[in-house]
Amino acid sequence: MTEPHLPSSKPHSWRSRVQESAVYRSIVRSPAADSPRGRAQRAFGNVFLHVYPVRVPRALLRFRSTWRLGFISTVLFTILLITGVYLMFFYTPAVSMAYGDMQLLRSQVGFGQLIRNVHRWGAHLMVLAVVFHLVRVFIDGAYKAPRQFNWVIGVGLLVVTLAYSFTGYLLPWDQLAYWAVTVGSDLVQYAPGVGGWMRNFLLGGSTIGQAALLRFYVIHVAVLTGAFFLLMAVHLWRLRKDGLAVGDVDKVAHDVTARADDHDLSLVTSETWLPDGRRVLGVVDTEQGPGHARVPEDEVFAWPHLIIRHQVVALAACALVLALGVAFEAPLRELANPNLTPEPSKAPWYFVGLQELLAHFDPLVAGVLAPGVLVAALVALPYIDRNPSRRPQDRRVALIVFWSLFTALAVLTVIGALFRGPGWGFVLPWEHLYFEP
Amino acid sequence: MSPTRRELLEAGWKVGSGLLVAAAGWTTFEALKPLADVSGGGVLPLLPPDAYPEGSATFVREGRFFVTRAKDELFAISQKCPHLGCAVPFCEASGRFECPCHGSVYNAAGEWISGPAPRGMDRYPVQIVDGRVTVNTMVLEEGAPLGSRMYDTPDRGGSCAPADEA
Repeated sequence: MTEPHLPSSKPHSWRSRVQESAVYRSIVRSPAADSPRGRAQRAFGNVFLHVYPVRVPRALLRFRSTWRLGFISTVLFTILLITGVYLMFFYTPAVSMAYGDMQLLRSQVGFGQLIRNVHRWGAHLMVLAVVFHLVRVFIDGAYKAPRQFNWVIGVGLLVVTLAYSFTGYLLPWDQLAYWAVTVGSDLVQYAPGVGGWMRNFLLGGSTIGQAALLRFYVIHVAVLTGAFFLLMAVHLWRLRKDGLAVGDVDKVAHDVTARADDHDLSLVTSETWLPDGRRVLGVVDTEQGPGHARVPEDEVFAWPHLIIRHQVVALAACALVLALGVAFEAPLRELANPNLTPEPSKAPWYFVGLQELLAHFDPLVAGVLAPGVLVAALVALPYIDRNPSRRPQDRRVALIVFWSLFTALAVLTVIGALFRGPGWGFVLPWEHLYFEP
Repeated sequence: MSPTRRELLEAGWKVGSGLLVAAAGWTTFEALKPLADVSGGGVLPLLPPDAYPEGSATFVREGRFFVTRAKDELFAISQKCPHLGCAVPFCEASGRFECPCHGSVYNAAGEWISGPAPRGMDRYPVQIVDGRVTVNTMVLEEGAPLGSRMYDTPDRGGSCAPADEA
């Protein structure tokens, strides 16, 4: 029997019966998405869709507006989270067990090696995606007001990503893991005053042993995951509040803000009192209010337009990581041997630029000051660069400084990763490649 | 002027929160600070001095050090590179210690010759007790500062690093 207030072309189909049932309607509460209001209601009433705004700038639909790098980072993180949980079922963070567990994973566990490969390549890709996301945001000037603090949160997420990689590196307890982490943690020693103490605190002793392995494991699976979710919540929430706008679309919002600044409207708050004793509750610009600034034709509904595009990107990212995992094995060298340093001993590729720097400068400069100043400069960037313009021709200095630093780091990384062999001697990669990702 | 009830309550929750944060920090520090090092080392009696001729380097696995001889003096040299902690092997071809990580080179007495290391290799005190070389690994003596070389060991001409090293 058809309910009188719910006209339907197939009243007796199973689908409509389910959709009209009290149980289904207690779960999915939004009305039909056949009107703008219905679509908006659907987004408001769904915790997952609510991460997106109801409507987004049409310009955002172009892949090249953001290259989807932030979203890709999130997808890769999700892949790492899921494969990481699988790995936890088979891994014991003990010096006597860890390496054997790696071999067990390869030989006994169904798809065990594939899961480890996907975790490894996913982690490398995530570092790349996060770095390119930072580069894209810099080029677009998207760290400028009002998004300064969200840039700082983003730098925090980059640091957490690198810390994830570094702590994860030790866990297989092979020669690659042991010596990369030895070099990495001994760098901390050069921090003036507290360096040696900090290193021992991190390792839980003066050498890399059982305490260090357990600490790195707990930091990797618990501490960093907590920090990541906390930062990610703020990052996404701020993104929603400040808008996903990009490029020209953002200029409209910026112009409105600039006009508001001209009139010093920012100084008017709900605590402002007029001379006649009335209180100001809000200011509406009659000519250039939000209604005028936003052109409805420039916006589309996030569902389905943006979310479908995100799903395609997510599937492509999964396919890429899976293909890499099928094609290439994650390296596992011999059991860690504290008496024998392999030739050459390289840090993970994203730290190999630092290692190259270490071969030329004092460790205090190359290992502590250079990365410290780099992170501090990234954090301070939106507060130093107060130039409000986002057009490249107005930002020559900022862009030149940024690209110079980026190029220097890239060159150091390529030299360290591909052109260095035993004893950190210079080798040509086409003659012998000493590179293990 | 005595505080109002509102001011007192506000100060109360702020001080209380501050104490909670301090307690959490203290707990974290006390719980996570490294335990006393159990691998503190000991006194290792080794072979008689004649077993360690000039130009050789004998690795002692128990203490992770090399026993070498230079100018008729015996040294127990910690294997750990003072630069970034890599295990430095002895290179027979050059008669020197050559670090595989960043290319620091030390002579047979552990003194710095070249590379990015901040000092010479660290040593343990050596004594002859009852005709046997005895090394005390509880005392680590920091390596000699750069440019203070006293024991020139002959360069054998060879090298364990690749020939085209920059």
